[in-house]
Amino acid sequence: MSVVTELRRAARPAKGVKAAPSRRGLRNGDGKAAAVFLLPWFLGLGLITIGPMVASGYLSFTDYDLLQSPTWIGIENYTRLFEDPRLLNSLRVTFTYVFTAVPLQLIAALALALILDRGLKGLPFYRSVLYLPSLLGGSVAVAILWRQVFGIDGLVNEFLALFGVQGKGWVSDPDTALYTLVLLHIWTFGAPMIIFLAGLRQIPEMYYEAASIDGAGVVRKFRSITLPLLTPIIFFNLVLQVIGAFQSFTQAFVVSGGTGGPADSTMFYTLYLYQKGFTAFDMGYASAMAWLLVLIVAVMTLINFFASKFWVFYDD
Amino acid sequence: MRRPRSSVRVGALLAVAALALTACAGSDEPAAEATSSGPPEAVEIRFSWWGSDTRHELTQQVLDKFEEKYPYITVVPDYTDWNSYFDKLGTAVAGGDAPDVITQEERFLNEYASRGVLADVSKLGVDTSKIDDSVLQSGTIDDALYGVATGVNAYSIIADPAAFAAAGIEMPDDTTWTWEEYVEIANEVSAKTGKAVYGAQDYGFNEPGFSIFARQRGESLYTDDAKLGYDEKTLAEWWQYSLDLQTGGGQPDAAKTIEVDAGGPEQSLVATGTGAMAWFWTNQLTAITNASGKELKLLRVPGESESERTGMYFKPAMYYSISAKSEHPEESALLVDFLLNDPAAGEILLSDRGLPANTDVRAAVQDKFSATDKQAAEFLADLEDEIVDGPPVPPVGAGQVAEITRRINQEVLFGRLSPADAAKQYTLEVGSAIGS
Amino acid sequence: MTEVHVRPTPTDAPTPTPAQRRSALAAEAPPLRIRSPWPDRRRQALKHLGLIILCAVMLYPLVWLLVSSFKPTELIFRDVSLIPSEIDLTNYSEGWNALQYPFGRYLMNSALIVLGSLLGNLVSCSMAAYAFARLEFRGRKLWFSIMLMSIMLPIHVIIVPQYILFAKLDWINTFLPLIVPKLLATDAFFIFLMVQFFRGIPRELDEAARLDGCGHGRIYLRIMLPLSLPALATTAIFTFIWTWNDFFSQLIFLIRPDMYTAPVALRTFLDSTGASSWGPMFAMSIVSLIPVFLAFLLGQKYLVKGIATTGIK
Repeated sequence: MSVVTELRRAARPAKGVKAAPSRRGLRNGDGKAAAVFLLPWFLGLGLITIGPMVASGYLSFTDYDLLQSPTWIGIENYTRLFEDPRLLNSLRVTFTYVFTAVPLQLIAALALALILDRGLKGLPFYRSVLYLPSLLGGSVAVAILWRQVFGIDGLVNEFLALFGVQGKGWVSDPDTALYTLVLLHIWTFGAPMIIFLAGLRQIPEMYYEAASIDGAGVVRKFRSITLPLLTPIIFFNLVLQVIGAFQSFTQAFVVSGGTGGPADSTMFYTLYLYQKGFTAFDMGYASAMAWLLVLIVAVMTLINFFASKFWVFYDD
Repeated sequence: MRRPRSSVRVGALLAVAALALTACAGSDEPAAEATSSGPPEAVEIRFSWWGSDTRHELTQQVLDKFEEKYPYITVVPDYTDWNSYFDKLGTAVAGGDAPDVITQEERFLNEYASRGVLADVSKLGVDTSKIDDSVLQSGTIDDALYGVATGVNAYSIIADPAAFAAAGIEMPDDTTWTWEEYVEIANEVSAKTGKAVYGAQDYGFNEPGFSIFARQRGESLYTDDAKLGYDEKTLAEWWQYSLDLQTGGGQPDAAKTIEVDAGGPEQSLVATGTGAMAWFWTNQLTAITNASGKELKLLRVPGESESERTGMYFKPAMYYSISAKSEHPEESALLVDFLLNDPAAGEILLSDRGLPANTDVRAAVQDKFSATDKQAAEFLADLEDEIVDGPPVPPVGAGQVAEITRRINQEVLFGRLSPADAAKQYTLEVGSAIGS
Repeated sequence: MTEVHVRPTPTDAPTPTPAQRRSALAAEAPPLRIRSPWPDRRRQALKHLGLIILCAVMLYPLVWLLVSSFKPTELIFRDVSLIPSEIDLTNYSEGWNALQYPFGRYLMNSALIVLGSLLGNLVSCSMAAYAFARLEFRGRKLWFSIMLMSIMLPIHVIIVPQYILFAKLDWINTFLPLIVPKLLATDAFFIFLMVQFFRGIPRELDEAARLDGCGHGRIYLRIMLPLSLPALATTAIFTFIWTWNDFFSQLIFLIRPDMYTAPVALRTFLDSTGASSWGPMFAMSIVSLIPVFLAFLLGQKYLVKGIATTGIK
């Protein structure tokens, strides 16, 4: 089951279906064992996750440069967030990226999953080949490659030259730099594609058979069978990809040389956070930025969950 | 209820194994500290600097000589390019892992000093007696010497006579030329060579250029009391000339400019033989000459005799500072002393870090100067009568100005901001950066 | 080539045995299924053609990277062809030595961190998963939900204080900040993965072991783990790939060049040489991608299964 379904189940009150009880009398008596098995995780949760979250909350109300003690400044960091044009720009850049790259990537993933239907010869081969970019796409090496591919003397321009089209410096132009990153994200459609493939396999062949008998064409079958039954998986992919896309860092960093440029056009939110917190001694502000990010991600996820009621079809 | 003994044991064993593994993989810790008395124990110090490959090689040679003289000290080099140097330094300092000896720059000196990152060099036994007082002043804040200037240079234009010849244009007379003429000549060079050779490289990324421009008009970038000292119209004018060059073809289009700038001095237009003029510091002449393989010329910037006064100035090229948290301050001081005062170091570095600040060293190595060093030295000597004064020490927060300048320049080049609007925004951002 | 579709048998009768099913199918001659007006063969051929072209386009940048690493830098931009006129290995030797330390050092650093992370994840996540999947204890549901939510938590909200914590512990510039969290099961995604897997293992096995006198520890070690090799393999492969490619944390926690990992070293490479030595940089990029590629080749099965499992309803 997906993370998403689990959370839904946990959130809903039990509908009279109890979780399978542990028989043989060890119910609730596993406390000690659980403590041992969960010890590393508890430690991690406390020391590495929750503890720092609390500390970060505190720090967001201070001015702190890691060299001298934090000075309390109240909500100044937060008010600064909304007055900082570069921060607002980074939000704009990030939102643009999320709202273009994620849908396009998912559409590509779904399309390919549909094309790679059952019984296709060489399916494993195609699947692997299309998946490979997904694996390598997050690496610095590929980001370096991408920067060159879209540079002035790069591959893309050489290719265009074959058709007599004069290319330009795609990564050095504020109008196009971000979209080279969007393209990079779309290139990595392999992972969601595999999830879609698995989801498609779960749709019983019977339904399609029955529809064929009724005379339904390909499009009709897609609209009435495939799409509705896939919606939980589309939803799952959407949630995860959106959360991931908001946290994009490596590609923007490498392609822009760490500057978020040119002219802040690739200044992803996390990149700005990094600059502020780790190079400009402004850790209080970076903490406030981090909490804003949590808020944004949480809100987006909640919106996703809420909207899912209207278009996701569960058969439980 | 059974106790899960085996799982605990296994888990513990694995955890210990993991920690042991990571302990082995940890960083090299510096060996035992040198005691102030008795035979010195082996010490390791870290020295950071920025620059091109030429400087890295030279510095490495100097460090080898230093280690010959003090065999118990090992110097771990930590060098990067200029663009990412201060980002990385910031991270290192914030993480409590600052290098022992740090190459500093005037824009950042104040900032680091005010955060208590730098030690007072004068208290560590570095001999500064042979260094000119005014030079020492530039690194002194509130009576503490936070950085010793390594040498002196000036922001100027490096020109390629061969490029001018190829375009069939005479080299300009740099004592009289105006800004208009600068633009015209650059445009002409581009036109005559069909852009095979551009007239100039964009100058807008670096604010020293504007500092000179403002000074020529009796204004200045900063004032003595850490405020902004220029008129926005002046700044707009400065950027307008840039745009004139771009539209006139004298400099490449915006995207190319950005790519070229990212490549540093050795990728500049002049260094690659595709440009006639570029703005650089005099001590970068050697590196660029090496890269271009031709003989280059140093020119005064335009407009030196055009307005009220000259704008060029002598800049302390860079500083050597010592980390306040260094575990080996004495050894660090020895290194700084060696770099500044030892003729052996001077012979190797020559004028790579500016004309040597130590006057004795400067005199001693004058004969060893390469052709380019001599060029730079003569050029600076010529300027001595013309240069009136130096600009005030950049205030705290000036470190951000480098990035602000670069970014706003990009906006101007791409036509996203008009020079007037750019000037306004720049003033706003720099103003808030320096807290004025 | 006709398309044969196996139809499930009607479910009125009791479930047939495999043998019965086979004979039933043999008796039934499956009809030809034509799904669209186009002739099947042409459609298939077209599909394959399209897919091949797509694969070529998708892989082109990577192949070009590989091929360019064998060309001297000047040729890279002039020569678009994918076949190098000669295989030139100087880029590799140059790139290997281009930075302060031989590139092998950075690879070794990466490898050490990956090793530590593997150990950490495999041990701590499987332990936590066992607890969630098999043990009954108070607040299990709550903790489980917390664990799930932590998967979606952006790392940035905790990275700043983590950094401060590690700075105070003097762990900055060591591998500890990168490995210790893995020992403490902070990669909750793998806990989730393994819980799913454990749930699929029949409880009868646990019961049988318990009757033999095994405690939870033994059950965990002797039964759950051995039967979970696929999940462990998936965890291992994903951990390997994600850790090897992890740039942000390594950028922040590793300060001195001698501690750099492959991704951080590559970035330094890019900075310091600007636009000049693409050849050696490409060569080292290939070198740093090889381990991931190998993991991909060897572990495809687990990768695909792992991704698919976590997404299925």
